[in-house]
Amino acid sequence: MPSWPIGKDVPYSALCEVFDEVSETRSRLLILKYMTRFFVDIIRHNPQELVYAVYLSLNRLGPEYEGKELGLGESILLKAIAQSTGREVKMLKADLQRLGDLGEVAVLSRGKQRTMFKPKPLTLRHVFKTLSELASITGSSSQAKKVDKINSLLVGCTDNQAKYLIRSCAGKLRIGLAEQTILPSLAQAFTIAEQKNNKLPSEEKLVRHIEIVKQVFSELPNYDRLIEAMLTHGVANLAEHCELTPGIPLKPMLAHPTKSLTEVLDRFENMMFTCEYKYDGERAQIHRTPAGQSFVYSRNSENLSQKYPDILSRIASFSAKDADGNPKAKSFVLDCEAVAWDRQAGKILPFQVLSTRKRKNTTDEEIAVQVCVFAFDLLYLNGEALTRKTLRERRALLYEHFEAQDGRFAFAVHSEGSNVNDIQEFLDASIVDACEGLMVKTLDRDASYEPSRRSRNWLKVKKDYLSGVGDSLDLVVIGGYIGKGKRTGWYGGYLLACYDEESEAYQAICKVGTGFSEENLKLFSETLQSHIISGPRSYYEWTDHPLVRPDVWFEPKLVFEIKAADLSLSPVHKAAYGHIDSEKGISLRFPRFLRLRDDKAPEQATNATQVADLFRAQNRHGDDKDKD
Amino acid sequence: MLEARLAQASVLKRTLDAIKDLVSDANLDCDDNGLKLQSMDQAHVALVALALRSNAFEPYRCDRNINLGMSLGSLSKIIKCAGNDDVVTLKAEDNKDKIHIMLEAPNNDRLSEYSLKLMDIDAEHYGIPETEYDATVRMSSVEFQRICRDLLVLSESMTIETTKEGVRFSADGDIGAGSVTLKQGGSVDAENKETATQVELNEPVTLTFSLKYLANFTKATPLSDVVYLSMSSDQPLLVEYRIEDIGYIRYYLAPKIGDAN
Repeated sequence: MPSWPIGKDVPYSALCEVFDEVSETRSRLLILKYMTRFFVDIIRHNPQELVYAVYLSLNRLGPEYEGKELGLGESILLKAIAQSTGREVKMLKADLQRLGDLGEVAVLSRGKQRTMFKPKPLTLRHVFKTLSELASITGSSSQAKKVDKINSLLVGCTDNQAKYLIRSCAGKLRIGLAEQTILPSLAQAFTIAEQKNNKLPSEEKLVRHIEIVKQVFSELPNYDRLIEAMLTHGVANLAEHCELTPGIPLKPMLAHPTKSLTEVLDRFENMMFTCEYKYDGERAQIHRTPAGQSFVYSRNSENLSQKYPDILSRIASFSAKDADGNPKAKSFVLDCEAVAWDRQAGKILPFQVLSTRKRKNTTDEEIAVQVCVFAFDLLYLNGEALTRKTLRERRALLYEHFEAQDGRFAFAVHSEGSNVNDIQEFLDASIVDACEGLMVKTLDRDASYEPSRRSRNWLKVKKDYLSGVGDSLDLVVIGGYIGKGKRTGWYGGYLLACYDEESEAYQAICKVGTGFSEENLKLFSETLQSHIISGPRSYYEWTDHPLVRPDVWFEPKLVFEIKAADLSLSPVHKAAYGHIDSEKGISLRFPRFLRLRDDKAPEQATNATQVADLFRAQNRHGDDKDKD
Repeated sequence: MLEARLAQASVLKRTLDAIKDLVSDANLDCDDNGLKLQSMDQAHVALVALALRSNAFEPYRCDRNINLGMSLGSLSKIIKCAGNDDVVTLKAEDNKDKIHIMLEAPNNDRLSEYSLKLMDIDAEHYGIPETEYDATVRMSSVEFQRICRDLLVLSESMTIETTKEGVRFSADGDIGAGSVTLKQGGSVDAENKETATQVELNEPVTLTFSLKYLANFTKATPLSDVVYLSMSSDQPLLVEYRIEDIGYIRYYLAPKIGDAN
């Protein structure tokens, strides 16, 4: 039985009660159980409201690729809390210092002050709709309008609701509820709700259904469509009703880093594989719908159409023509790398040149940096998803249906040599041709396209991997050290952190002070000025040690790509603690700044599991050496 | 159709000053008894009820009940254009989207005319239960204003404690604590016995309130020499300013709970 009266809209309080339960445990299984139970109740009694429950649990307002999000700043939220509780901002700030979380401040402020009349309870539907409206407010006096909207919700909050509401507005729930848990919960909930008798479905059936839902979602990351299809057709038949759709970006398949060619050969022993140039540009997923619409998406499913109007206008011409002059590929999804291109010299330009392109509102005429698109995979063609076909088949279709255009559209250069010397030569050639290194992929066996997965069926070999730590790390700036000497007036160094998805926390990993140009230092100091916070966030994990304690704390904002000599266990840094050693975390030795990753959000930084994996890989490598 | 002529603009000026910061937009409900307004603040912590009876106006005419939704800030801006002794006339036709405001100088040689756009305000009407209060304090409004201002320095909340002996206002904050006690029958202003403190008590009451709101209410001080504070345990406080014999402003404020400060 649901906790709300049957026939009534799901109240916001029901969701908040589940959030309370979830935040009190770190056990994935328990969280899964709580979410499943909640979703079952909604499916049975209020199916039309399920989508609101899911989005509010994920703290999103729609599919990720639509990019509609809240992420309101501290000052606007303080203003709203002040107005809706009749307190002074000054007092709220003092409470914030003490509690470290705006949500708690809101609960405290509301809890102490009664209202004249009991507020009408908030419903899921109302909260979701209001938050959506809030996100679309722009233009003049938008600040005041936003405060009003937040207020109208805050007034209706009782108990803990203000906490979650404010956190939703700020863009982070911080209760340890990850997307990886929502999907299985949904799959289980539908399976349970579909049971004809009152018996629970078998474990085997649940596992099967979870796999189905995960698979379908990785190709069609749209909860509205997914839930709609599950409600009408059930989980078992989901794949027939929901598949890869041009116009909806799927999460790209990612490659595993490797440190030596022998590692590659070990992995792919007795398998057919191919080597491709790894172009140093930006991942671009290019979509063409049957209706003739075109889209360019980034590796984070961000719509890049405004950044690449030039690519957009060319997409229609990528297809090869048939005998009658009609395009062979009418609708398609291509996986590509967009690379800066020197038209005069007919050469690839370094990534740094590409990163100078404006991110928004570029018009076709004023583009200074030209790009060439290198296609390496075809995921959808003329009404059919190709993800389950082998790479060899996909590549054949790619070459058959598309046509290279000089300096605009090309196929990734590849080679099928299988001995170390061939690969080494090809790797050297890739460097000469201004690429980062090679991608090595299985051709026939285990060669399907695995959306969103960092698969071991794709390996990357970078030229600079072959010494030191294999891959570089993308780390979040959380603190700064006041610069001295030549760096007076700027920050001389930064405290960096990796992101732990389990606890939604940032874990300090190292300080970095080398590799910066003067322009970098100036730019970062200026950028970070507006992100200074008065103390560490409650979700920063660090040790208060004189060697670590930064002079200034920052909101998680900037992501640096960092290269290091190696990783070591550290008594002071917290990164990935618990993974390798129950007490010690992992730190980087001799870290060096490579570049700013402004295409990555802080939550997409290298995560704790990856740090632990890098540490293990390094030590395994060391053992091998000892044996030789 | 409404037509209401008020001999002294200053009354309306002060009335609006006393409520416009608490309630930005509200419906002015007009019937043949006079003008009324009732609205909660944005946080639903306080409620303002204003009444100006028909005898405040000469002449007063209201054939049919009408609700005029407007921005009180904007109305206040217009009324501020009047001199204190100007005569104000409010006019509104049925089903029109404007209210007309005429300001006449006392010597009749200056006439200003304004109009203010009306708006639809979707406000729920809350019934305020008429309660017998356990304690009612009648005291100087200036003194009450001063106490609120003084204690606001210390804390964001103030506790009001009524006993047979008198009334005690206290605040406890980070920098220190303070209190002001007024004795039953005592008068702050020896000249004016009207404002002597009087406590009518059925039962002693102690409640804590947000000082920010209380300080806001004292904007009504110019309207009346005395203020009435009525309290019952666990119930909203009523702060009433009577405007001569023509009306009142009543503020209701929900108490704070938990720790006193």
